Amino acid sequence: MTAPAPASAATPVSLAPQASGTAAVASQPVGDRGARTRRILAYVLLIGYALLMFVPFLWTVVTSFKTSPDAVRLTFIPDPITLEGWNAAFNGLSPGLIQLFFNSALIAAVVTVTNVLLGAMAGYAFARLRFPGRELLFILVLATLMIPDQMRLVPVYQVLVFLGLVNDNPTNYLGVVVVLAISASSIFLIRQYFLTIPRDLEEAAKIDGAGFFTTFWRVMLPLATPALAAVAILQFQGTWNGFFWPLIVLQTPDH
Amino acid sequence: MAAPAASVPASRRTLGRDRRQEALAGYGLVAVPMLLFLVFQIGSIFFAIYISLWKWGPLGPTGLNPFRGIRNYQTILSDPIFWKAITNILYYAVIWVPLTMAIGLFLAVIVNQKIRGQTFFRASFYFPAIASSAAITTLFIFIMGPEGLFNGVRQALGVNPIFSLFGFPSNYNWLGESRTAMNSIIILNAWTTSGTFMLFYLASLQSISHEVYEAAAIDGANAWQTFWRVTFPLLRPGHYFVATVAVIGALQLFDQAIFVGGSGGEPNNALTTPVLFLYRAAISDFNFGYAAAVGVILLVLIMAATLIQRRLFGQAPSW
Repeated sequence: MTAPAPASAATPVSLAPQASGTAAVASQPVGDRGARTRRILAYVLLIGYALLMFVPFLWTVVTSFKTSPDAVRLTFIPDPITLEGWNAAFNGLSPGLIQLFFNSALIAAVVTVTNVLLGAMAGYAFARLRFPGRELLFILVLATLMIPDQMRLVPVYQVLVFLGLVNDNPTNYLGVVVVLAISASSIFLIRQYFLTIPRDLEEAAKIDGAGFFTTFWRVMLPLATPALAAVAILQFQGTWNGFFWPLIVLQTPDH
Repeated sequence: MAAPAASVPASRRTLGRDRRQEALAGYGLVAVPMLLFLVFQIGSIFFAIYISLWKWGPLGPTGLNPFRGIRNYQTILSDPIFWKAITNILYYAVIWVPLTMAIGLFLAVIVNQKIRGQTFFRASFYFPAIASSAAITTLFIFIMGPEGLFNGVRQALGVNPIFSLFGFPSNYNWLGESRTAMNSIIILNAWTTSGTFMLFYLASLQSISHEVYEAAAIDGANAWQTFWRVTFPLLRPGHYFVATVAVIGALQLFDQAIFVGGSGGEPNNALTTPVLFLYRAAISDFNFGYAAAVGVILLVLIMAATLIQRRLFGQAPSW
């Protein structure tokens, strides 16, 4: 499991323990026994809620090893244990499960790479380079966050039809990729990170005779690795779990 | 920021060239992303508005007299199924948004305390949020079916008399009956999304300075008072951010609806949402002009909701 903890630039939350102000207030002495009872009760509730989060997943894993008549029974040990379900999933689907996983992985990987690369380029330009119209373009980028995907369904589908990127394997993969190639949040996240890097480093590079692209590629990009990693994780997970655009663009039997 | 004039003193010529190179580098770096945004985002709004005025099929305008003006919009607004979809989504938003925000805030406050196993609890509360909507909805259909885990558990707990009091038989199909289908989706999405809202609220909670809590403690406030009088009001930027994200997300409900009820929004249009309605018009009926008009209405609805929230809760968050 990858909790997006490295996404510190966007959400400054780590899953690591951290002291807090409320704790100091809450753990004031109230009388030893009362405090302990309350504490135990709190932990019971917490663990109960955590189980509520996990049990359905555990249940699915357990059930996948059950036979069909056994699957409706409320037992936690499959009887008998069978691989029938797994066999059906791997061999009974057309196209096969491996193929489906490969599709998802391929699209997610390509989209992740384009988002990191294009996001870094645009993020650097918006954070550091001065050019006329920069602010206006950046506002346009942010405004796209407000446009619901579904409103774009018809026009985007239409544009992809014009470009010949629908219904025609394998170019329809390209259709999904160009729609998802860059998102405003990737640019925004990387730009915010670039803004926190001191300017001295660029000036040093400039004195050493580096041009804008060299400075970007050799100096700034390596420094932005944490933000790039955050974008990569968020994008890969988002695309892997994505449903809407693949559903629309890959409307052929072989998706 | 404008490019320097053509004739510059010799001493400043190198500076001017530098500036021009910088601007060129800037345009070069943003060119590809901006082109994609213009085609697939900004341009798509105008294209959608244009298409919505026509009778439009997958290959462009269709029929003898394809221009329809505002008649697509008139047809939509007089379609009872569309109003059913609007009612459904408003019901969903009104219940799901406060419910999920409350759970998310509650979890955030709990895991922000000094407790043992804090990392474990944070991770496990966030856990359902990383599952894909497809996987978790399939799992949920399995749990809520007539012979699913939920009915099995209430049988085992012996609480069925209480349920039958409300008219739910022991093999009730929670997602297959119109009176519980949408409520079940609300519970599903509250379960999966509360972890995400917990993370947002945690970020907001940790930006509150310790000093206010110390002051509250000195004034003798108990934990309950501290939460309602200090934490809750100071979380205002957090509430604003989470509420905005939640409402925008709620109005776009689609994945869970189509997995459970198919493109027909079964049972009996109980799960037909505006996006599902749009999808049906576009993909099942190939009525692109009509679907584009639904999309434009949806955009207006979402922007109106966002603006109303801005008015109600004020400033955008500072982070």
